[in-house]
Amino acid sequence: MNAAKLLRKLRYEKKLDSGQAEFLLNLQERRIISVHRELRFFLYIGILLIITGAGLTVKQYFINLGDAAIISALTLCFAAAFVYCFTQGRSYERGEVASPNIAFDYILFFGCAFYSMDVAYIETQYHLLGDLWENYLLISVALFFFLAYRFDNRLVLSMALSTLAAWFGFTLSGQRFYFENYYRLYAIAYALIVLCCGVLLYRIDIKKHFLDIYLNFAAHFLCIALLSGVAEYKILSLYFPALIMVCAVLAFYSVQVRKFLYVLYAVIYGYIGISIVIVDQIHRQTFLLFTYFIVTSMLVIGLIFKLSRRFKENQ
Amino acid sequence: MMVVLYPPQQEENIYIRQQAQAWRRSGLITEEQLSAINDHTNLQLRQTNLFFRLLFFVFTMLCAGAVVGLFVWLLDFKDANFTAVMLICFGAAFYIAAEYLAGKYLFYRHGVEEALAVMALVLFCAGCGTLLSENHLTLTQLRIVVPALLAITAYWIYLRFGFLYAAIISIIALGVVPFQFNLSPATERIMLFSVLCVIFIFSLLADKPDIEDFRKNRYAKIQACLTTAIYLTVNLQIMGLFGLISMDRHVVHLNPQLFPPSIYWLSYVLTFLIPIAAIYWGIKSRKRIIINVGLVMACVTLATNKSYLGWTRYAWDPAILGIMLVGLSLLITRWLNSGADQRRFGFTARDILKPEEGGITPADVAAALTPGVIDAQQPQEQAQDKYFEGGTSGGGGAEGKY
Repeated sequence: MNAAKLLRKLRYEKKLDSGQAEFLLNLQERRIISVHRELRFFLYIGILLIITGAGLTVKQYFINLGDAAIISALTLCFAAAFVYCFTQGRSYERGEVASPNIAFDYILFFGCAFYSMDVAYIETQYHLLGDLWENYLLISVALFFFLAYRFDNRLVLSMALSTLAAWFGFTLSGQRFYFENYYRLYAIAYALIVLCCGVLLYRIDIKKHFLDIYLNFAAHFLCIALLSGVAEYKILSLYFPALIMVCAVLAFYSVQVRKFLYVLYAVIYGYIGISIVIVDQIHRQTFLLFTYFIVTSMLVIGLIFKLSRRFKENQ
Repeated sequence: MMVVLYPPQQEENIYIRQQAQAWRRSGLITEEQLSAINDHTNLQLRQTNLFFRLLFFVFTMLCAGAVVGLFVWLLDFKDANFTAVMLICFGAAFYIAAEYLAGKYLFYRHGVEEALAVMALVLFCAGCGTLLSENHLTLTQLRIVVPALLAITAYWIYLRFGFLYAAIISIIALGVVPFQFNLSPATERIMLFSVLCVIFIFSLLADKPDIEDFRKNRYAKIQACLTTAIYLTVNLQIMGLFGLISMDRHVVHLNPQLFPPSIYWLSYVLTFLIPIAAIYWGIKSRKRIIINVGLVMACVTLATNKSYLGWTRYAWDPAILGIMLVGLSLLITRWLNSGADQRRFGFTARDILKPEEGGITPADVAAALTPGVIDAQQPQEQAQDKYFEGGTSGGGGAEGKY
């Protein structure tokens, strides 16, 4: 029996009303095809290409174009995007708000990206804030947070969180992804701040659906920072128990809310951390090394198997 | 003997349940109706969710790898032939274990049996490769035999277990073979193109109208992969595009000069024809994945067009392509929405089927990376400084740096 036959059977058994069954049959037999996701995908790719093209143009032709032209063009673009969003956007609500149209989210994202480009260009060329130049990032963070919550936009929230990470010192362009002690502590601080913000906003019932984004940022920054500490100090520091505790909390939370992505994080980060310590303890003896990986991987498989049976994941 | 390991009706039931879950997620059916569908589609096969599947896969691979490593280390083989035989034996043992788990315990896309099957594939091919290299096969012969063996073994795993990635591995391995004969670049491409076209025709012949839905879905995915592979074979400027993305100018025009003009211009025409044909065929046959692949290929064609024609590339080219994409997407949305019941020829821009939420999406990740990319794209020096640096505007040609 295939899906179409089953739908007809359920209609005959009056478990589906005829309109509903007809619609599902149309979907199943591809008489109706939704291209909503494809349109969104190409809109997003289009916006990303525009941002890339604009960035490359500014980088290559800033001498020819002149500061006035670049700054006014970028300002005009982001101002137009923000004006559009404020005039066309729906009113603020604490819960999830649907976008007024398919392009709305991307126009706001485009505005934020052009705003970033504009501010970064002004700062690079004129050094208005002098030694405190990195603080312009904080202004951007505040603006992005406001816009993300005002218009219920996940993309802009992601931008806000990564801009905040940049203010803490983590950028793609600099050589700041080393987890030396200085940046490790900053990464932990960043993760805790993001986690607290996310949980607090969730608890006071503001855009509860954003929590996953906060948790993803916090989990990765925290686990990578702690893992780097474990790699450096092995068992002789608080990093190891902290990592184990964080992984345990992640796994517990994951099981509680049945979002198994966090189990994946907990197991992977936890296993790497424990392996670093154990491999160090057994002084890289080959036999013990292989035995360790055989035994522990079987243990992990058994543990996940028990967990999956408990939740009867049948999909 | 039935080649497929799982009963087709069981796989069909899984497909129906997946559809039903998507309908429930999108609010098209109630919880009771979902239960009714589940009642009609009994399942004996054991499945797990994506994240557990990933964990099972990773840790089974780790365990199997460590077992082989320990055995090889303990026995301290000096003879390569013996090592090769041991690898083949381990491959066979892992394959039997995968079959056993799938047959006896009905594991279906569970991660464990997948990892064992993949490990078996790797070990078997590595063992055979070592054995053949030790037995007077030249390097060229070996570079033909091993990918061919990999293609056949991966195809067998696809037939037996139905893993889509095994089919893709098989196609890629087969795609490597034409490049091992020391032929001219044009002949290599023509050979690869012919091989892919033959596989594509076979997949079309297998895709009959009366087969199960899950099989139709699987064939559509394979056909999409094959269409992409054919397109990548035909597009001679694709390496240049990778070079542009990675800002490595050395690979921008790596291959095209090696081709005769007739092949070069034929490939140019085909880079337009293949996406058009894919989109047309996707719309006609109502295969969404083929339409998507066709659209992506069309974008790549536009991106490589200038390279083909030898025109100068400008920094704003991506922006123009982006504006085109945004404009087209908005136009199509408007056009679809203005149709009766917001539909035209059965296509609608309405959000009907909601995707499964996985916490964070690739779109969120791309958005998070955007500020970093913008930061990296900033000019590092002041315009004024740059203009005067190195004495380009006078100053007696004094050095800009001391």
